[in-house]
Amino acid sequence: MGNKQSIFTAQQLDAYQDCTYFTRKEILRLFYRYRDLAPQLVPLDYTRPDVKLPYELIGSMPELKDNPFRQRIAEVFSEDGQGNMTLDDFLDMFSVLSEMAPRDLKAYYAFKIYADFNNDDFICKSDLEKTLNKLTRNELTEDEVRMVCEKVIDEADLDNDGRLSLEDFQHMIVRAPEFLSTFHIRI
Amino acid sequence: QNLVKELVDMSTRERIHAIRDLPMSFEEKKSISAVVDTDHIRHQKTLLLESTHGCLCSIRRSQTLRRWGYSVRSARQTLQLWQGTMKEIGGRFGTSVLTYFMFLKWLLVFNVVSFLINFGFITIPLLVHDHTPNLPPNVNFRGLEILTGAGYFNYTVMYYGSYSNETLVGLGEYNLQLAYFFTISLYMVLCGVALIFSMAKSFKENYVLSDPASSSAWQILCSWDFSIVNERAITQRKNNLSVQLKESLSEGAQTEMLTRSEKMKHFGIHLGSWLLSTSLAFGCGSGIYFLCQYEQQVPWTPLQEAETLLVPFVVSLMNLVVPLFYSLFNKFEVYSNQRKQIYVLLVRNVILKISILSILCYYWMQVVAKKFSCWESMVGQALYRLVLFDFLFLMLGSFFGEFLRNLIGRKLLPNLGVPEFDVARNVFELIYAQTLVWIGIYFSPLLPVIQILKCFIFFYVKKVSLAQNCQPPRRTGRAAQMQTILIALLFFPSFVGALSIVAYTAWSLTPSKQCGPFRGLNNTFGAVGIWIDNLQQSSSSYWVIWIYHHVIRSEVFYFFLALIVIIIIYIFWQVTQGRKQLIVQLRQQIVNEGKDKSFLLDKLQKLQKSNQYAQKHPNKVCLE
Repeated sequence: MGNKQSIFTAQQLDAYQDCTYFTRKEILRLFYRYRDLAPQLVPLDYTRPDVKLPYELIGSMPELKDNPFRQRIAEVFSEDGQGNMTLDDFLDMFSVLSEMAPRDLKAYYAFKIYADFNNDDFICKSDLEKTLNKLTRNELTEDEVRMVCEKVIDEADLDNDGRLSLEDFQHMIVRAPEFLSTFHIRI
Repeated sequence: QNLVKELVDMSTRERIHAIRDLPMSFEEKKSISAVVDTDHIRHQKTLLLESTHGCLCSIRRSQTLRRWGYSVRSARQTLQLWQGTMKEIGGRFGTSVLTYFMFLKWLLVFNVVSFLINFGFITIPLLVHDHTPNLPPNVNFRGLEILTGAGYFNYTVMYYGSYSNETLVGLGEYNLQLAYFFTISLYMVLCGVALIFSMAKSFKENYVLSDPASSSAWQILCSWDFSIVNERAITQRKNNLSVQLKESLSEGAQTEMLTRSEKMKHFGIHLGSWLLSTSLAFGCGSGIYFLCQYEQQVPWTPLQEAETLLVPFVVSLMNLVVPLFYSLFNKFEVYSNQRKQIYVLLVRNVILKISILSILCYYWMQVVAKKFSCWESMVGQALYRLVLFDFLFLMLGSFFGEFLRNLIGRKLLPNLGVPEFDVARNVFELIYAQTLVWIGIYFSPLLPVIQILKCFIFFYVKKVSLAQNCQPPRRTGRAAQMQTILIALLFFPSFVGALSIVAYTAWSLTPSKQCGPFRGLNNTFGAVGIWIDNLQQSSSSYWVIWIYHHVIRSEVFYFFLALIVIIIIYIFWQVTQGRKQLIVQLRQQIVNEGKDKSFLLDKLQKLQKSNQYAQKHPNKVCLE
């Protein structure tokens, strides 16, 4: 491929390679995926980035289309919290979800994606119930949902304050070794 | 900021890793990186008092180094095989099925490397020197050779027998004897090291093997597989998740106490199935032994070549059929948890394979080695046939196990359901195949070629079979992961077994007198002895001779080495125990702090209430 690409400046590419876990080839490939979502909005020459793609386009990507957490993922990684992503946010999102990101980084973002809907750094029971409903979609009755949430908080809450903090979450993640491989989207 | 100060002090490489690991958005990372860079330059300037030009040069140098590192990483990615297929499989079936295919890919790469080593160091010199096989008269290539491995193949470089023991004189002197010995030993050592490292790495990632695996609701919740993309698979996953959650809820309620007679019954069934399975395994072993002996006694006819196919046929048939019996026994038995069930099934399969392989090896080492003239080639041929038939039967097994069962499950008995892809059994079969190749590498250096072809074809066959016939696994979470780890852990013991057989051959058995690179010696290791003697006569490189006599041949050295390793292991074990205790204590401390916090909050509230009361009713308080 060589250095013939004219989409990014050298500094931009360096910055991308330094701050994400992707190689040059992957970054260019991701740029083309980003562009494919809205070819008329994204210029081929990206040396001055100021484009934001709306959430609907991001959520229609085949990798995210059926994922029950897609809205939450887009919200967590976007700057404005609404799910509209620039290319930087896009790269950031897939970098964290790639296989090279370390466990702590993934745990931090998983915490936010799974349950912290109100962004207060704690998971409370209502957050858990919302997550559970997303995952099971009317299979469980109200009672069962409540019991599962209680069980989860019982098991994970170390300091007994009725909510889960980031440290509790990370502690539970350490005991689930398959987390690293399941919290992973290939692109 | 403290963060910037910390980052400035680190070296460039650590800095980049630390910035990447920060849980911040991209913009923030970029700004931090810029700030840190300028700080770093200023820092360097004040430290070294160099001219600006020198500083900029070093910065630019590190940048170009980094860029070069990135381009190397990029280039390495182009060599990745089957990326698109893996993504597809992961998208439909989830990560646990994907581990099988990643293991297959790893095995393929491993065998390519072993082929290159062996071919490059042993076969190429021989081919360069003398590339026409010295066939005796009227031996032509018939089609049967592909199956039996004998006949025409016997005289090619495929087997041990056609390697010469001369020192080839071409561009320089190349001692083929030593080359053979050292290449094989180097290859085994490399295998061992590679296995140890990958086992250790995967063990470290999954080090909570010792944790009692209760299916906690939390872990089920966290095990949502993000890489599944197929809509149908996702709905299925959701259903499975709800079923599993319901199960975990009801598990707490189930505390049946079994009556005494029931316990005796369970015990009786367990004992019965263990007896049956071990006797089956031993029965298979002795059957193979008698079959081999029978094969010897039949006089030589042209038909005997086809009869040599009988033993591998029976071996593969047993490997296919007997595990089915084991699964059948498993269905009758009752286990307290699923993990024990997996263990028991695994142990029985391992016993079966060990008994068959050990009988075969015993037969080869004791009977064939003493009777025949070019016995290593014969053993090589037997192994070739085993590998080939293993391949054919695995394909058949895939056909019957998955395709037919799919048909039955869909058309005839819809209750049975479409089969799941059994990752554990397939990984186990791959390990068995690789063990055969490891045993055979001494007798037939080009056996990895067959394994490479096998892996390649297998990938596509399994992929198609998976896509057409199987459904995603129902049990997600720890049980599935545990299985795969256990099976992968089997890899190392099988390697050790193969290594010990090869070592026994090299150390104790007499090489055949008429063929092969070690003809005329008392044992294979004697080649090294002769080389050392030659070196001594030519009186150069004293250190090699010294190492040989005092390190390799002396027992005291190995004794001390083993002692040191044991002491190190003991120390590490004690450190681990201490750390476990520390974890328990720290956890207790967290609980206590939580209690302190709520206690203090209560007290604060009471104090505030009494203050408010005092403010509202000052008169009353004064009176009291």
